[in-house]
Amino acid sequence: MGLSQRKSRQITETLRAWSDGKQEALETLFPLVYDELHRQAARFLRRERIGHTLQTTALINEAYLKLIDQQNVNWQNRAHFFGIAAQAMRRILVDYAKSRHREKRGGANENLPLEAVSLAVSGARGIDLEALDEALTRLALLDNRQARIVELRYFSGLSIEETAEVLHISTATVKSDWRSAKAWLYREITK
Amino acid sequence: MNSERWQKVKGVFDAAVELAPIERKEFLDELCGTDDELRSDVESLLAANEDADSFMESPVIGEVADVMPQRGNLEAGTMFGHYEIIRLIGEGGMGEVYLAKDNKLDRQVAVKVLNAEYSRHESNLQRFLQEAKAASGLNHPNILVIHEIGESETSKYIVSEFIEGETLREVIEGSPLNLSEALDISIQTANALVAAHAAKIVHRDIKPENIIIRPDGFVKILDFGLAKLVERKAFGSDASVSDQNRTAKGIILGTVNYMSPEQAKGEKIDERTDIFSFGAVVYEMIAGKAPFKGDSMSQSFANLINAEPLPLSRFSESVPEELQRIVTKALRKNKDERYQTMKDLLEDLKKLRENLKFDERLEKSHSSKGKTAFLQTTTGDVRDVTAETLDFTGQIKQRKPITVAVIAVLLIGAIGVGYYFWSVRKQFSTSNVKRSLAVLPFVNAGQDANADYLSDGITESIINNLSQLSQLRVMSRNSAFRFKNDQTDTRSIAAQLGVETLVTGDIKQIGDKFVINVRLIDASDDSQIWGSQYVKTSADIIAVQNEIAQAVVQNLRVRLTTSEQQKLGKSYTANVEAYQLYLRGRFHVFKLTPPEVSKGISYFQQAIEIDPNYALAYTGISDAYRSMAVAGEMTPAEYIPKSKAAALKAIEIDEALSEGHTSLGMTLFWGEWDWTGAENQYKRALELNPNEVNAHIFYAHLLSNLGRHAEALNEARIARELDPLFPFVGALEGQFLLHAGQTDAAIARFQKTFELAPNFWMPHLFASSAYVEKGMYPEAIAEARKAKELSPAQTVAAATEGYALARSGNRIEAQAVLDGLMALSTERFVPPIHIALILAGLDERDKALDWLEKGFEQHDPKMAFLKVDPKWNNLRNEERFAALIRRMNLN
Repeated sequence: MGLSQRKSRQITETLRAWSDGKQEALETLFPLVYDELHRQAARFLRRERIGHTLQTTALINEAYLKLIDQQNVNWQNRAHFFGIAAQAMRRILVDYAKSRHREKRGGANENLPLEAVSLAVSGARGIDLEALDEALTRLALLDNRQARIVELRYFSGLSIEETAEVLHISTATVKSDWRSAKAWLYREITK
Repeated sequence: MNSERWQKVKGVFDAAVELAPIERKEFLDELCGTDDELRSDVESLLAANEDADSFMESPVIGEVADVMPQRGNLEAGTMFGHYEIIRLIGEGGMGEVYLAKDNKLDRQVAVKVLNAEYSRHESNLQRFLQEAKAASGLNHPNILVIHEIGESETSKYIVSEFIEGETLREVIEGSPLNLSEALDISIQTANALVAAHAAKIVHRDIKPENIIIRPDGFVKILDFGLAKLVERKAFGSDASVSDQNRTAKGIILGTVNYMSPEQAKGEKIDERTDIFSFGAVVYEMIAGKAPFKGDSMSQSFANLINAEPLPLSRFSESVPEELQRIVTKALRKNKDERYQTMKDLLEDLKKLRENLKFDERLEKSHSSKGKTAFLQTTTGDVRDVTAETLDFTGQIKQRKPITVAVIAVLLIGAIGVGYYFWSVRKQFSTSNVKRSLAVLPFVNAGQDANADYLSDGITESIINNLSQLSQLRVMSRNSAFRFKNDQTDTRSIAAQLGVETLVTGDIKQIGDKFVINVRLIDASDDSQIWGSQYVKTSADIIAVQNEIAQAVVQNLRVRLTTSEQQKLGKSYTANVEAYQLYLRGRFHVFKLTPPEVSKGISYFQQAIEIDPNYALAYTGISDAYRSMAVAGEMTPAEYIPKSKAAALKAIEIDEALSEGHTSLGMTLFWGEWDWTGAENQYKRALELNPNEVNAHIFYAHLLSNLGRHAEALNEARIARELDPLFPFVGALEGQFLLHAGQTDAAIARFQKTFELAPNFWMPHLFASSAYVEKGMYPEAIAEARKAKELSPAQTVAAATEGYALARSGNRIEAQAVLDGLMALSTERFVPPIHIALILAGLDERDKALDWLEKGFEQHDPKMAFLKVDPKWNNLRNEERFAALIRRMNLN
């Protein structure tokens, strides 16, 4: 589609190099994934949704399909892709929240019925996505794996099982890490 | 807080959170002691955990979307031109859809208003106009009528007829469709698409949501929103540049579950993409689920690219063959193999409906007793049939193969595979060259870690099935299982194993179903030769292994003899429960510690209680008892007879079971020193299964002990080739080399084995003896100590150390080791031969012979080494030693 086959193959190679342990490949990959996800997310947020549950994974899959040469990719690569995409999704949604926040502060468009995109509402409590992002960055310093789990679960919408698959850890580990990460983050942002 | 501290906090939290709140205080008192900071940290986390139950529980994007502002911008009563908005009825790709009243003509209409934000982009606007033009150009009863394309001060909009009814999605999810209803909807939909295609409009997004069924049964196709004009020339290879660009701007079009493969891959699409999507919709009407729908979106994508859907007959007892054929042809992944025009497809559907009506009339006119199954489908509820009761075989045999792929599908189908994925990426030509293959441990993809026995067991059974074939060199279990949970890429695994092809898979339990994914991979370029998904109930678990083995063989194009065909299809028990118990038994026995082995034995016994003719479970018992006798440091007399009895029982039940002969051979060898009997059993086992590693390596053992070194080394080499990564084989081969007098080659082999498994005691133990022969005593002592360190419970390591010390001239330390063993022997069984060994090293010949004779009386399995082990060389001239050799028939 948008990308020529050559380019898609190139990205696939980069992904493979990254999964083979070449960290610098991530630098090349991230902006591409970010851009594509950004496009998809913007569209996604407007698309038909009455009676449908939104699935971030679907969105990421679409980006994946666009970016990756399907013929030369294996499941391993897909797992790695989800790892990158989760970080990209986090950045996209936080950036989005920030820009909405700025808009609000600037007094623009007060009429938007729910300007509070920056305050993605969870349950009865509003969560400040920016604060969550900052807390998550601190969590990564304490336990990087837990931060990755939060990205995959919350920002990418992966299930426990899918998260375990991506990170090559057991579902039991995901469950306990997720629980303590949630408690920690909740404590941090409600302090 | 630093990360170390956090790990501690987290650990305490994880433990505390599992406790009832009331128990936590005491727990924390104990764990935190005086560390108040830790305690308050954990307590605040526990409190946060209580409050945070819904926090982050659903992914953020869903929540972001839910609070998006643009929903329902227009309030009831708002005038939009001469249309009065009544209420929001839906939201499509382009904007919101309102029910409105046309005040001029006094009728209800649907008004689709382009999103203000959306319309800022010129390309979206163009798309919007294109939809409108395309759809309004179609004057067809089954296509939604467009009344007007308008523009207000703020927005552009499309006014169309308002259809009251349900979407096909709602219909499918509500009451089930019967065959005639499904056919009727299909034909009306096909009619609409024929008209659209004639106008060179491709819908691009056919799905149940876009098909509306009016209460009178009339079908309307909506939302040509993604349709675009397709130039006639785009049917060839040269799509126009503008087409390409327009596609590039957009987005993945269509819904995953109904997308054609070319659409999903982002390739150029034409009418044939609608044919595919249409096929998927028809499929869903019968099956109740979309053909490629997986558990996750990513699975759906993978299915779309690689899989063939479950035959419709799995969902509907007697779906007409012809409908299956039509759907299959519409769902061809290669668009050149699909129906090439919607018109052809429509013709076939109409013919089918005519035939069914004819049959129905025939049925009525005969007013016969009992309808045929075929006719039931025309009136019956097609989804009310459990898939498990179906006999797929009978139906599929009648179908004429269309392509090579179909032939293969038929072959697989004919053995009863419920669900298969197929990908003709690569085909081997049939040949007589022996192919090499490794079946990697299937991944237990479910949540239950205890189900490892099942994933391991299936792997093992497939290995067993395949290894019976003379044309395949199949890596044994041990080598393959070194890659359990290993993420190394397949190419390097294949290189380490020295194989051309790999089978990988995973198994997951979902409800009462097991979902097993299998892939056959060409290791040279990591490409998939074949891939398949099997969805089975536990009752089919045994059959599915044979199916997988069959499919692998088929895709490797291995030519089989009739008897090999039979072997491949062999199943060891028909009882699933027994089989699962057997697998559990194997799982425990392979842990090789006495308590685990005992546990394994009890599972085998339970399996046999359920299926008394379960020969393989008897071999499991035989092997388990023997392993306790050989390595378990316990008296042989108790175990050997049980081992033998079990092996004999296995053979009695199934003479053609190679494992039974190997088991019996080993028991005769170790337990009864019946060399001839053992040799006959090994030979028979190898005749039945030329790839059985155990038979090769233990036959080699026998040959070596009898002094037939050349034959022994040959068998050991074959075993190693079949099992290159199993350190046990390497260690034994080294020992046979040592016994053959090839000490340097033996040391080289041990060193290779160290690399393979640095922490495996056995090669270190044997290497010690080799170094003694070379006069390299410090190395010999070091290796023996290494072995002792790695396997402290084994007295053989201590004995070898004592022997090396003695030979090095360090009699004092050797004596100390000996004293230690003697002391130990008052507490537990110490094989006499181990005592004898140190005494031989000390050249205390008479005492050494006393202990050897004691060993003979106790029938110590290790006595089998007596003839060829150079450690006994100083005793060989003793008459008592010669007598022992004679009594053991080793002369």
